[in-house]
Amino acid sequence: MSTIATAEREPVSQPTEPWYKNKKLDQLLCFWSIPVFYNLFGLVFVPLSWMMPPRAPESDLAGVVEFMQSPNLLIASTILILSVGLSAVGNAMYAIQMKRMSVSPVLRFAFIAGAMTGAIVGCLFPMFCFGLGAFREGYSPEILQMLYDFGYLSFIGCLGCFFLNWSCLALAILLDKNNILPKWLGYYTIWQSVTEIFAATVWIAHTGPFAWNGLLAFWFNMVLYVPWQFIVYYCIFQAIRKQPESELYNSGPTPRAAYA
Amino acid sequence: MNTRGQNILLWLTPVAGLLFLVAYWLFPAFAPPLSPTLSPEEVAAFFKENLTAMRGVVIFGNIIGALLVPLFALIAVQMLRVVNSSPIFAYAYIIAAGIGITAFILADFAWGIALFRPDRDPQLISLLNDMAWFFLVAPVGCVFVQNLCLAGSIYLDARPDPVFPIWVAHFNIVTGLLMLPAAFSLLYKTGPLAWDGSISFTLRFSTFIVYVAVMFLVLLKVTKQQVEQEGVAA
Repeated sequence: MSTIATAEREPVSQPTEPWYKNKKLDQLLCFWSIPVFYNLFGLVFVPLSWMMPPRAPESDLAGVVEFMQSPNLLIASTILILSVGLSAVGNAMYAIQMKRMSVSPVLRFAFIAGAMTGAIVGCLFPMFCFGLGAFREGYSPEILQMLYDFGYLSFIGCLGCFFLNWSCLALAILLDKNNILPKWLGYYTIWQSVTEIFAATVWIAHTGPFAWNGLLAFWFNMVLYVPWQFIVYYCIFQAIRKQPESELYNSGPTPRAAYA
Repeated sequence: MNTRGQNILLWLTPVAGLLFLVAYWLFPAFAPPLSPTLSPEEVAAFFKENLTAMRGVVIFGNIIGALLVPLFALIAVQMLRVVNSSPIFAYAYIIAAGIGITAFILADFAWGIALFRPDRDPQLISLLNDMAWFFLVAPVGCVFVQNLCLAGSIYLDARPDPVFPIWVAHFNIVTGLLMLPAAFSLLYKTGPLAWDGSISFTLRFSTFIVYVAVMFLVLLKVTKQQVEQEGVAA
């Protein structure tokens, strides 16, 4: 895959250059960790733990207990632990593109702070709530139900950090005069951050479209989010490819440091 | 620009080390670490018996964790001096370090909350204790990615006079790999991979301590070199 990227990059300059000599190797290595991360992420939350699609908030207590004690939750937690660090790489991917834009650094620093918080409260913590239930037998059904609620609400109801992140990204794309990412992606990203707010009702509703497994609070968001996630990384990949060599920090007679 | 601020923050690392030694000597609550096989009642009894020692661990742990943040921040600052095509490794490093430190503080808080009212239902004490061990031992994915990012940026450094020597990259990969098996501590209650086992506890934390000590010495040299190369006043 990196070979393809090299070949397509700048056909005029040194076509025989091996992939590992590619000047953008740091960005390409990090980029290709993203599909690895999302595949593991999908594996963890769907076929391994069956946490997604979300179970009903009003499942009967016996069902909750049975689910919370399934040993697969621990395997899912382990794989998530091994892969969660890659979310940092995936998020840094947005931040370096935001650095190229003609916008204030505050947008990428706010994004970076949101990415740190979001990974803990919206990813690692919820999975651990499920893992904790499965780790020890004999917890009372009330405790397991609390972990179940804590897990689902912090996973699906973790909207603040992501609202912040996608808003910063959208704003950066729209304010940018260097046209690093397409403007339509900026508008699409605004929609993505608005749907995060749609999920706010999960903290109140137990049933119906506004609950954490509801049509509006969950499925509507998914329909927008999943294609958005693919498209945004596709656009970032194009941005990496199109980045002129003269703009790279490691090119030219005197390589310069990126600093912040 | 001068490196005085960097130096002050860097010397917080040995302060953290000193506090760790003091805590280890004053409050030996985790020598040996609690076994995951203990029943909730046994855990609650242990907490009641070791209240002072464990509160000491919690308070010191909170401070020690925070005192390690500057070391990671300094590594990130030096990574931004490394020349790659983009600052991607440094940014990813900052995010991963933030996640890792937060996980550590959550572990500390889970114990602190259990100790605040030790008369709570033993099931709740046990749950908080499990949660603390989950967050303390298991989240090695972040520190692993941190080390990989640092190693990657060193391997690809385009400077004629590299910021970090190449052995630091190898060292980061090796220490990262030594800590990685602790992720499997959720799957075992006994043996070397359990959270009190020789791999998940002893190897993981001794590697981390050696790692912090070595990186402190590395940064001491790197900041001194920065002064020589960039002519900044110490």
